[in-house]
Amino acid sequence: MEDPATPLWRGTVVLRIVTFLFAVVAIVVNHNGYQRPTLAWLVLAAMGVWSVLTVLGYSGDWGRRRWLVAADVVVACGLMSTSTLILSDEQFLRSVPLITTVWACEPAVAAGTLAGPAAGAVSGGLLALFTYLNRGEMSVDVARDAVLLTGAGFLVGMAAKMARISSARLAQALRAEAATAERERLARSIHDGVLQVLARVRKRGMEVGGEAAELAALAGEQEVALRALVAAAPSESTVDGEVDLRPAIQLLATPRTQISTPATQVMLPAQIAVELTSVVREALSNVAEHAGPTARAWVLVEDLGDEVVLSVRDDGPGIPAGRIDAAAEEGRMGIAQSIRGRVASLGGTLELQTGPGEGTEWELRVARPGQGKKKSGNEKGAR
Amino acid sequence: MTEQRVSVMVVDDHPLWRDGVARDLAERGFEVVATAGDAEAAVRIARAVRPNVVLMDLNLGTVSGVDATLRITGELPGTRVLVLSASGEHSDVLEAVKAGASGYLVKSASAEELVEAVRRTAAGDAVFTAGLAGLVLGEYRRMAAAPDDTDSAPQLTERETEVLRLVAKGLTARQIATRLVISHRTVENHVQSTLRKLQLHNRVELARYAIEHGLDQEPEA
Repeated sequence: MEDPATPLWRGTVVLRIVTFLFAVVAIVVNHNGYQRPTLAWLVLAAMGVWSVLTVLGYSGDWGRRRWLVAADVVVACGLMSTSTLILSDEQFLRSVPLITTVWACEPAVAAGTLAGPAAGAVSGGLLALFTYLNRGEMSVDVARDAVLLTGAGFLVGMAAKMARISSARLAQALRAEAATAERERLARSIHDGVLQVLARVRKRGMEVGGEAAELAALAGEQEVALRALVAAAPSESTVDGEVDLRPAIQLLATPRTQISTPATQVMLPAQIAVELTSVVREALSNVAEHAGPTARAWVLVEDLGDEVVLSVRDDGPGIPAGRIDAAAEEGRMGIAQSIRGRVASLGGTLELQTGPGEGTEWELRVARPGQGKKKSGNEKGAR
Repeated sequence: MTEQRVSVMVVDDHPLWRDGVARDLAERGFEVVATAGDAEAAVRIARAVRPNVVLMDLNLGTVSGVDATLRITGELPGTRVLVLSASGEHSDVLEAVKAGASGYLVKSASAEELVEAVRRTAAGDAVFTAGLAGLVLGEYRRMAAAPDDTDSAPQLTERETEVLRLVAKGLTARQIATRLVISHRTVENHVQSTLRKLQLHNRVELARYAIEHGLDQEPEA
């Protein structure tokens, strides 16, 4: 994948070329006053060679590396340091540009583009330090250069960082969209084909009976599992880390377990949704274990706006009065205790309703954090 | 229920399923007067044969079963629609019920459950699964929370909420009657009333929408 900061690299290359031309003009204009004009031409030649090298390097992938950018900073500082040998004292007094002129600002921009605002600012600061060392004294010009160099490095670094972040986000969004589209396509085809046939097989098999009934039961299990899988849309998490509780709960459906939810999203913070789902799973496995293999179970998800209510009911024999205490004494209330503990840690309440022949019903209420502004199960805000 | 045989029409785009259901019903004494494979045909044929019950699948291609339900229940007061869908009990089922369907059954229901559901639908009862009760309950709460139509939106009475919650938790009408110490008939009435209010509100909303958008005018030639 192409670096999202590529336009900034192109800008860096243009800056290098333009500042080199600027340096040529500045040296031509000032060369009569230099104490060592020959050295000035040699340094300009070196700047030319280095410019060609960096332009080539920054134009392709091979040069957009730490080593070239670091070398760029070192070369710029080094060539700048020949200024004391070239410029005359009088020129220093007149604030004639250092031999590298604005050409030396480019490494700060390159560093920012490569590695972000901190690297850009540090490189700019280093170049500013060398400017100061070569000038030998602090002046308004030196201070201004320092601000411009560190500022430019920082800002370009910021731009590069933002470009990379937004590019990554865009890529993620596109992937999610593609996955959703593919999922919908699969769901439609499963719905129109496999599910219809499975339902039919189950129905006919039950009527025929015998061995066919066994096959029908298998088909029925797969039908329910597949339908739950298709119905459970991928949980899109919002920016603030909230997810829809329904898909995860719906996956718990079996031929003996009916899941009822509202038609609209039930948004909850992701970790609460995960915890609630595992509590419901635990309650359902409790049903399978204690209410007998023929017991059926129902799960109801309700969104009351300021709180979410989950009910798990089974039509098993129920727990006769006193059995709970007895069980607790025997230390057999493991599951109930664990469910109670988990609900308590979510700041929720748990009610257990049971009696002989009445089945068992858990009712679990969890307050929605930060409620008051949010609408209950309303998709308007999410769309 | 009268002695007259209940006439049924089966609408499903899947021939295997459609014919299977038609045979099941015929074997058990219902008169299957028509079948249809898409929504347009369903509306057309229903107008001609006026069946007591239409068994409606919701996945019918371009025109959905929801639309067909709206038109059939709107035009034919003597015809009731029972949704029979493989759908994961979601918004499409809720939409169909708001459009006028008097009940809903999953396709995985047994032949006995289907027969019972058709019989009850013909008799004018609402056929509620726990899943549908959850959807209807959620819809009333959504309407109560939506700021724009709190004044006109129907509301559940406390008793109706209680009954719907128990239906959603899988209790049968008889169990609910016992638990609330009311008659079986009263439970049925409460359930039906929750549906009727929702359907009436839906019709009013559709009419209002049509008037606001000029859809009630005859298109000019």
